[in-house]
Amino acid sequence: MNNPLLELNQVSYRYPDGSVGLDGCSLRIARGSRNVLIGANGSGKTTLFQHCNGLLRAQSGAVRYGGKDIDYGRAGLRDLRGKVGMVFQNPDHQLFSASVQEDVSFGPLNLGLAMATVRQRVAASLQAVGMAEHADKAVHNLSFGQKKRVCIAGVLAMEPELLVLDEPMAGLDHAMQKELLVVLDGLHQRGITLLLATHNIDFAYRWAEHIHLMAAGRCTASLNAGELGEHAAALAAVGLPLPEVINLHRKLVERGLLPTTPAPRCTHSLLAMLTNVNIAKENP
Amino acid sequence: MLIEQSAYSNRWRSVAPAAKGIFSACGFVAIFAAKSPLTATFIAGLLLAVTLIGAGITPSRYWRVAAPALFFLAMGSLSLAFAIDLGDDHQLLHLAPNGMAKLAEVGTRSLGALAALLFLVLTTPLVDLIALLRRLKTPELLLEIMVLCYRMLFVFSAAVHETWHAQSARLGYASARLTIRSLGGLVANLTLQIWQRAHALHLAAQARNNDGPLRFLETSFANSGRDCRIAGLAGAGLIAFAVGMA
Repeated sequence: MNNPLLELNQVSYRYPDGSVGLDGCSLRIARGSRNVLIGANGSGKTTLFQHCNGLLRAQSGAVRYGGKDIDYGRAGLRDLRGKVGMVFQNPDHQLFSASVQEDVSFGPLNLGLAMATVRQRVAASLQAVGMAEHADKAVHNLSFGQKKRVCIAGVLAMEPELLVLDEPMAGLDHAMQKELLVVLDGLHQRGITLLLATHNIDFAYRWAEHIHLMAAGRCTASLNAGELGEHAAALAAVGLPLPEVINLHRKLVERGLLPTTPAPRCTHSLLAMLTNVNIAKENP
Repeated sequence: MLIEQSAYSNRWRSVAPAAKGIFSACGFVAIFAAKSPLTATFIAGLLLAVTLIGAGITPSRYWRVAAPALFFLAMGSLSLAFAIDLGDDHQLLHLAPNGMAKLAEVGTRSLGALAALLFLVLTTPLVDLIALLRRLKTPELLLEIMVLCYRMLFVFSAAVHETWHAQSARLGYASARLTIRSLGGLVANLTLQIWQRAHALHLAAQARNNDGPLRFLETSFANSGRDCRIAGLAGAGLIAFAVGMA
């Protein structure tokens, strides 16, 4: 990968209580890509994210953004946090303003933007996450899923280049997850680089271009999602199975029901392939 | 929560907070300008009618919100009317000199002030009130504390409910002894949560480039000027009535 947008090189971080956050972790994120960080609880995902935004400072190793080492001075952090937006796992840990509109305006106002620009960005961000009609609502009157969307809007309004989301699907029902995926896809189409943490390997395989595996404070492997089927051992090493759709596809290939390629990334695609094969057989 | 629900669901939700603030302030002035308890009662009644009929607040909700304040008002007023005598006289409780007059004067004015205050808080969400205070150049530190307290009130209320339910589900409040023990656990747990949540919010603020003061966007109201003029006229009428009746 040439000129990654974000690069962690042998980064280590130990918390004041002695527990290890990161232990020689290296990771590269390509500009404009969709990335998933996957690993067990306590594997260091959140710690890694907090390094991306400069909330934590590497005790050894280096974090580079846009090809340059992060400047931890006031101006440097201001610049970095304007480019790397972070959405926390629990929305109640992120939202502290009284109303939706106020909270979304918090980041852009901190960037020193003019009030008219902030107003415009707030409206656009709320529109992007489908929360425009809730702009004047009090935060505590929102559902969990709506709060998550407001969190994303609050970061979007800062127009980041890289959006880091800590387990965005946690606590969301199926419908809300689908809605959030639509929002994320829209952001990706706008050219925003996405990095999100999840425990769900099926989702990671379906959505991401690159899958980064985390264990014990290290990124143990960075894989192209399309080649995930060839890395069963790397997944097993961090306690993850192959995605269900890969196993299912392999069985169907073994029985001669489906071709080897293209490899479906989700059950929906797999079913579509089966339907197409049946239609082709019925109409030779 | 009752105040919150009314503030968001009343008929005058979209009226500019400045207008409601002007009318409420005029209500206070009128109450204190009223020379007789009868006038003060009448003004309090007018403010009540405006809140119930104009803003569409239901009488039951109004009563439930006002009840605690009315209780304290009643207790305070009674202490004005009566005096405790520890002398040789066998009658411990006496009607204070001019007690009933003081009771009428202070009681009706307090009622009016309460009605003016309830008009404002039952028709205006705190979010809008804070924005109004910001426009009135209230010190930023005070506003930040208000914003954080308001938000935290609901976050901690949720935390208390969750912990309380978790304890109740495991018979934490099954006896007096267990109740005391569980309440201790609840307080200890909340203390830790407060610290953790404060730290999490600090991180979240930093992540969005905060380096000091909390800055927020102000809500704009389309007919603010017109609303303020109407409220000003109505408020002036209220004051004129109070002064005229004196």
